[in-house]
Amino acid sequence: MILNTLFSLAFIVYLFYAQKIQGMTMLRQIEVSLRKIKRYRDKGKNVAVEAIKDYGKPEQDPTPQVERFIEHFMIEPVSMDPAGVVQKLGSIMNVREFTFKQEVVRMAPEATESQRNNLENLLEASLVLNQFYKIIRHYYLMGKKTMNIYIIMQIHMILPMIIKQIEAYSAALQAFRDGIPIGDSVGPIVASKLLNGAPTKLVATEMMAGEIEFEGRRVIVTKAQGPGGSVGKPGDAIDFLVNREEGKVKMLITVDAAGKLEGEEVGEIAEGVGAAIGGPGVEKYKIEKAATENNVPLYAVAIKQGMEHVVAPLVEELMEATDKAVSSVKGLILDYSEEGDTIIVAGIGNTVGVGQ
Amino acid sequence: MADSDVGPLAGATQNWTTLALMVVVGAIALASLYMGFTNYGEGNMETAFMYILIGVSGFVAIGFTFFKAKPATKTQDGPKEVEVVTTLECPQCNLKRVRAFQPGDYIFKKDEPCTRCEGMMTVTRINARKDPKEKKD
Repeated sequence: MILNTLFSLAFIVYLFYAQKIQGMTMLRQIEVSLRKIKRYRDKGKNVAVEAIKDYGKPEQDPTPQVERFIEHFMIEPVSMDPAGVVQKLGSIMNVREFTFKQEVVRMAPEATESQRNNLENLLEASLVLNQFYKIIRHYYLMGKKTMNIYIIMQIHMILPMIIKQIEAYSAALQAFRDGIPIGDSVGPIVASKLLNGAPTKLVATEMMAGEIEFEGRRVIVTKAQGPGGSVGKPGDAIDFLVNREEGKVKMLITVDAAGKLEGEEVGEIAEGVGAAIGGPGVEKYKIEKAATENNVPLYAVAIKQGMEHVVAPLVEELMEATDKAVSSVKGLILDYSEEGDTIIVAGIGNTVGVGQ
Repeated sequence: MADSDVGPLAGATQNWTTLALMVVVGAIALASLYMGFTNYGEGNMETAFMYILIGVSGFVAIGFTFFKAKPATKTQDGPKEVEVVTTLECPQCNLKRVRAFQPGDYIFKKDEPCTRCEGMMTVTRINARKDPKEKKD
């Protein structure tokens, strides 16, 4: 009798409060993840402060400056009238980069240029971790306040993917603090391997280029200036080189890290056409524009890796994949160019821990 | 950022609440098992089965909560740092040496004298050491 009443009661309670119970369970899971994200965010901030103290020898504690930095934001240009939106975005990003550089110079006056670049990257990783934390906390608190299942579900459903990204950015802290190559550095490594010690010179903002001779072809190789953490301005470098050669460039190959699909192996190489470059699209636009205006075919070599590898210290499989990518680039050159041609190869990506 | 923002995340009370809940569930489960076996002895099979089911479910729930709580304490200090190694090669005598990564190392750096010949060793690889426990993708 008692048992039957209990079961009936439980059924009635579940009938009316099922959604609320489900919401509370999800909120609890979000809360556990949020605590984990907070630890990552705090670690990011602490690592940045310690690295600034170590490399920059500031006169005062940089913590307030770091706290101000990780709250920095960028407002994207309006795209209702799309004409010229890339230039507007490029201009805003230039201001952002300039501001970040100035902030780092003020925070770490004694740091070398490479160390400053690494500190800038480190602070950017901390900034991203802080943003992730604040957005998830916003949805958590809003869900808790309203107990609206749809608000709670939104964040609950995408939480596993977000956690994966957060863990990747968290791994980036060690890489940028110590100047260790990351998964995204595969492009610059391939470029450096092709250059094999050939002399290089500055061709655009934080972009180096050198020349080699391969099977009767003239190959111009460009990459960001290392070993400090920088992606440079590959679009500007390619635009400069293509115009400097005045129609002599017969082929343009970009080498970059690319996201792998589940089931694909880390370090798999894929060849294709187009500009292999990520980011907001400004540099990609410049490369495509230079190639189209000068009628240069665009080839791409992608080195596959997971989201967790992109900003984490370089794994063995990816280091080995750079040799395969070098062979792939050489194969493309032999297959699609003739002796006497001029070819541009661009190693796209962050050059942290990679020299020329 | 003000710490009051993270007020709802205060961990200590949450742990005590979970513990108290586990004690209550444990007591009910124990009582249910007792009732179950008593009814079994008296021959009331249907009632005994229901009580035993409730009791076992209670203990399973406690076990599950305890099992789930374990990894959370492990990651208290955030993610672990990986071990990174630097490989140096001498272009003259092909001597290869692998050592722990030192800040300042970078790929294609040439500043370490070769221990076998007069040449300078070049950093050819910097990579994270593979974790033997890591699952293959």
